Amino acid sequence: MAEVGKMSVMEKLKILTDAAKYDVACTSSGVDRRGKAGKLGNCVAAGICHSFAGDGRCISLLKILLTNECIYDCKYCLNRRSNDVPRAMFTPEEICELTIQFYRRNYIEGLFLSSGIVQSPTFTMELICRTIYLLRTKYGFNGYIHVKAIPGADGEVIRQTGFLVDRMSVNLELPTADGLRNLAPNKHRKNILAPMRQIQNGITQNRSEVAVYRHAPAFVSGGQSTQMIVGATNENDYQILNVAESLYQKFELKRVFYSAFVRVNEDKSLPVLPGGPPLLREHRLYQADWLLRFYGFRAQELLSERRPFFNVMLDPKEDWAVGHLEEFPVEINRAPYEKLLRVPGIGVQSARRIVAARRSCNLDFENLKKLGVVLKRALYFITCSGKMMYPTKLEEDYIVRQLTEKEQRIRFGSDGMTYRQMSLFDDAGFAGNAEVISAQEKWQTAMGQL
Amino acid sequence: MYVYRCEDTLESIFTAIYRVYEEHRPKDEVLLALDEEPRLFAEEMIVTADQERSGKVVRTLCRRFGMEDYERICFALTAEDVEKAQAVYRTVVSGLALREGAGYGRLFEGLGDAQVCKAFKLARSAERECCHLEGFLRFEELEKGALYAQAEPKNNLLPFLMAHFADRFPEENFLIHDVGRGIAGVHYRQTGPEAWVLIGGKGEKGAAVTKGVEAALSESELYYRSLFRRFCGEIGIRERANEALQRNLLPLHFRKYMTEF
Repeated sequence: MAEVGKMSVMEKLKILTDAAKYDVACTSSGVDRRGKAGKLGNCVAAGICHSFAGDGRCISLLKILLTNECIYDCKYCLNRRSNDVPRAMFTPEEICELTIQFYRRNYIEGLFLSSGIVQSPTFTMELICRTIYLLRTKYGFNGYIHVKAIPGADGEVIRQTGFLVDRMSVNLELPTADGLRNLAPNKHRKNILAPMRQIQNGITQNRSEVAVYRHAPAFVSGGQSTQMIVGATNENDYQILNVAESLYQKFELKRVFYSAFVRVNEDKSLPVLPGGPPLLREHRLYQADWLLRFYGFRAQELLSERRPFFNVMLDPKEDWAVGHLEEFPVEINRAPYEKLLRVPGIGVQSARRIVAARRSCNLDFENLKKLGVVLKRALYFITCSGKMMYPTKLEEDYIVRQLTEKEQRIRFGSDGMTYRQMSLFDDAGFAGNAEVISAQEKWQTAMGQL
Repeated sequence: MYVYRCEDTLESIFTAIYRVYEEHRPKDEVLLALDEEPRLFAEEMIVTADQERSGKVVRTLCRRFGMEDYERICFALTAEDVEKAQAVYRTVVSGLALREGAGYGRLFEGLGDAQVCKAFKLARSAERECCHLEGFLRFEELEKGALYAQAEPKNNLLPFLMAHFADRFPEENFLIHDVGRGIAGVHYRQTGPEAWVLIGGKGEKGAAVTKGVEAALSESELYYRSLFRRFCGEIGIRERANEALQRNLLPLHFRKYMTEF
């Protein structure tokens, strides 16, 4: 500890940023709060991205750990007790000063504070709470704050912290209790779900308080989120998606984040990933996550016990559509909003615009293009005033062939998705090299859901 | 054909719209022009901005279409496009033709119409650039604690940026400098959260602004810059490196004034 005291802020920032970077949640959304005289900062509901890192992820919050010292020994984590890495700890004043100075220069939208476990979960949570309290009161910070609730910490400390922050999250870490037992021996499913439930109840209660007393203090007004590691244990996509769905329904989470497993420790219980982190799998999960939240899909519609993994070649919506051709084609000028949402190539925005614009005139394909519909995907599934764009067959093989050929062009071509990324799906239990996989997958999709 | 020649300001264009109604012109035979190009067989009117008339238009637009659509119109008018006045004019005419109350929040719904679609696109692209700049603008601290930022936005977004940052930093003295247009927005802390002014303009005035802001940086400025650079360097995950995605989300032309690049 004596050595830690001598460290410069620059060194601490390096160590504690490096230790925090595997946390996914970096959104600054969900809260609209105007600035106040005498304070610094406001919040914008849509969130603001201030920069983008070399891996393409957004930099919105100052994402740091309070300390990377930890009494736990989770196998996937860089900061586990048994690792010999440089350790550091910020003082509350250092964190406040950094946040304020970065915020004034418009580098960041707020603070994201997490921590390794020092002494005990409750002690750690108290440290976090004290830091945030200082930042909100003495430093007069009115911007966005996101903190981690430490599983196993005393409920009262979590409650107090909740009144100071905009978003709280408890990491689920791994989708199933089995996985957690194997890789994080000090963490228990029950301990993780308890604070999640507590925050949910707090938010619900606060909502009715604010309804009666407009100026009642807000409790976690930006909602709570969580994250799961994908690819460290052998859960399939169907299990993960079901967990996510029940988190949305039963715990009213704002977001579930998926993080492709990055092997930072050498450990015999961790999978070896020769092709790098399973990025394509993560991407498909996010696509499906959007379908759950905004498009009215259910997990059972997208995957099943018999077909537990996402299609590599088609995105989840296309995959669903080619399997349910009896629902198509959809007539643009008459179909209800919910039906429009299910057409590949039509998103929430363009579906809304279609519903609004068709009140004043009949829409044709030229209009659709202007409204933002991606016609190269949508054209197989829609008609305008009873006509299709080109003479196309409503046959599964034909459509899959057309969609994937275009996909090939895009994926292997200009937009940065490389051939290498296709092979990332290997670790999900598929054998063989990438070329075999894609040929096999192509055949599978062409033959339907075998 | 009636041609109304406006200046490229909100007030002037709104005044022109008011005059079209005031002078009972057939709505389809009117052109709002920002250029000097002569047109055959057209009756020409020179519009001088009039606060009272434009104020009335603002009130009507807010009442009939709501604040959100009014803001969209303002965004569309920040664009650098000579046909923007005509597109906005046609959009407003089509909205006002609806009965009272029917157009509320629906001004931009008739996207089947080419002019409405054009105004919508201008507004959307300006709005997007504004969102980008709210994030990508970087301030540097000058000697006496004032903050200074530079930008070269494609659209004339300074009023929107000033409003955003005045709400965010009520206790700061700051200045945002639109380098391309030679104008700057100044906010003083003593005058409360909403008080800011625009200064400068074309030619000499703009040069004066550029000259005026050549002040020395504060002592700690370089220190915080290097801290933030270090932070940005560390936060990316090497195994996931994806420069193309980074360039998609943060195009190169924004990086000129950004601290971390």
